[in-house]
Amino acid sequence: MSIVTRNVLIALFITVALTGTVAYAVNYLNDARIAELGAIEDQLSIDTLSLDTQFSLLEAAPCDSAASSTTLITSLADLGNRLSYAENQLGTDNAQVLRLKQQYSLLEIRDYLITKQLAKACGTKPVIVLYFYSNAGDCSDCDKAGYALSYLHNTYPALRVYSFDYNLELGALKTFIALNKVQGALPAFIVNGKHSYGFTSLEDLEKQFPKGALATSTTSKL
Amino acid sequence: MGPEILAYPFLFLAIFFESFLLVTLLSAPARSARGRAPHGANTSDETPSVAVIVPCWNEELTIAATCDSLLALEYPKEKLEIILVDDGSTDATSAVMARFAEHPQVRVITKENGGKHTALNTGIAATSAEFVGCLDADSFVEPDALREIIPCFARGEVAAVTAAMSIHRPQKLLQHMQNAEYTFGITLRHTLASVNGLYVTPGPFSFYRRNIVETVGGFKRGHQTEDMEMALRLQREGYEIENAPRARVYTTSPDTILKLVKQRTRWTAGFLRNVLGEYRSLIGDWNRGVLGMLILPTAVIAVGSGILLFALMLFLLLRDAFTALSIRADIPLSYTLLPHGSFDWFYFPANFYILLALITLGVSLGLIVFGKRLSKTPGKIGLGIISYVILYGLIAPLWLVRATADVTFGRHRGWRA
Repeated sequence: MSIVTRNVLIALFITVALTGTVAYAVNYLNDARIAELGAIEDQLSIDTLSLDTQFSLLEAAPCDSAASSTTLITSLADLGNRLSYAENQLGTDNAQVLRLKQQYSLLEIRDYLITKQLAKACGTKPVIVLYFYSNAGDCSDCDKAGYALSYLHNTYPALRVYSFDYNLELGALKTFIALNKVQGALPAFIVNGKHSYGFTSLEDLEKQFPKGALATSTTSKL
Repeated sequence: MGPEILAYPFLFLAIFFESFLLVTLLSAPARSARGRAPHGANTSDETPSVAVIVPCWNEELTIAATCDSLLALEYPKEKLEIILVDDGSTDATSAVMARFAEHPQVRVITKENGGKHTALNTGIAATSAEFVGCLDADSFVEPDALREIIPCFARGEVAAVTAAMSIHRPQKLLQHMQNAEYTFGITLRHTLASVNGLYVTPGPFSFYRRNIVETVGGFKRGHQTEDMEMALRLQREGYEIENAPRARVYTTSPDTILKLVKQRTRWTAGFLRNVLGEYRSLIGDWNRGVLGMLILPTAVIAVGSGILLFALMLFLLLRDAFTALSIRADIPLSYTLLPHGSFDWFYFPANFYILLALITLGVSLGLIVFGKRLSKTPGKIGLGIISYVILYGLIAPLWLVRATADVTFGRHRGWRA
């Protein structure tokens, strides 16, 4: 075997080994991302159970500001960001991502229900936004709407924004959509029970909010 | 899977080629070449006669310094002849040359303008030296360069020897970029020469056995790349081309993007016309070894892949920029311009495409550093590496596209157009 032939074979081996290693490393990192999502989700499940228990304990007790807020929304937003990134990396049809999205949607619905119950019991008026999107390629304005909501949530931290993938196969979500009478036109918003569809501009979206809801120095904790 | 998938075959090929370079660099022939002693290190060395031809066309600014550097070569004066050929210059080149006419080692020849290849042939016809070298009139050599060249002709089948080029006193960022590129070329030439894979004998200080050059018919126009045409012809005739990695030669370089693109368009178009034209038979020729089976096919693919990867990068960049802008259209800048979220490993953008590209880049940078150490070229290379990483991928596609268009549409440009 000539030196050139030998070198070509060695180079081919190195190339295959390198690309294989890169593929393994990328896969390993993606698995680590999934594991991290799972860990956050486990913590959120405990938080949710804690919240349920907390609410049950407070039902017979006077409502005070320290006990009447849920801190789950910040963690939910963080999980949502990570899940969205993982979805971009791994694909929208990745089985693990889909399963995590289902669990995430359940957590959101649970937090939404508890927030409403707490508000009713304590007499507060939180601004709640339910946002329904699709990433199946049939919603050209969903990215814009999602970014606008991120801006609003960042600017007005008192807003409680819950995002749902309209096409996600999840019984509870289907029921939630049916109960809230969301039609198929996306993006869809329900701001404190008021429905609106489509996204044209940030200004138009802000008009959907109750007067005074978008104040940076709100005293409402919910 | 996005359009990045188009880049994967080329990235795989790039990694394979770089792996081949690394393995060959560590192989016995390359190691042996690095250990070659310069001429005169052994008292028994015979000293062959050498002529260095300097073809000139309107080189009044640099020819004197070029000639001075040749006169400073460490080589027996009676064995070294310098032939200055004025190829019909219209500036003061002939007057500057005249100052050297009385020097015993220098011969000045004036002829009508006919192109660089005719100037070289005139010089070759005027000498009986065993070896003839070429030095572009905008290049300068280290005093020991010729002593590094001569031992490479030890074997009779070696018809030509190339030197180690770098940029003469780089000033602008663009010139530093070229210096890094040339330094990469030092490693590349040294490595490929060890398996007879060179297909160009550059104008700055390449040497030839005079009788072989005459046997194969002398220099031809070669689509304005006479050095490449000669190398391809020597390879086709079964000769070998060697490299002397410590024979340092410095060449002046274009200082604007426009000048650089013009120069490289000429080189790339010349390469495509030679390799896809008269020398197409070399591609895939098993008898030409690594040159025919790997180097030339890879070089041709590299032209196409350079254009494709640039177009792909531009497409992805514009697509992402358009999406980002449309999403942020009416959101206040105070929010859109600030980074959001935390620096977290979770968001580390490690995908297959980026990691493969980083490996390719990393090996290239390693080969640049190796080239500098191998040739012992003075000066710092840090700025060159930085500018190479930032600029090369943006500028190179310009001449690749221009040259490919010229060849496709049969457009021929002047030497400096």
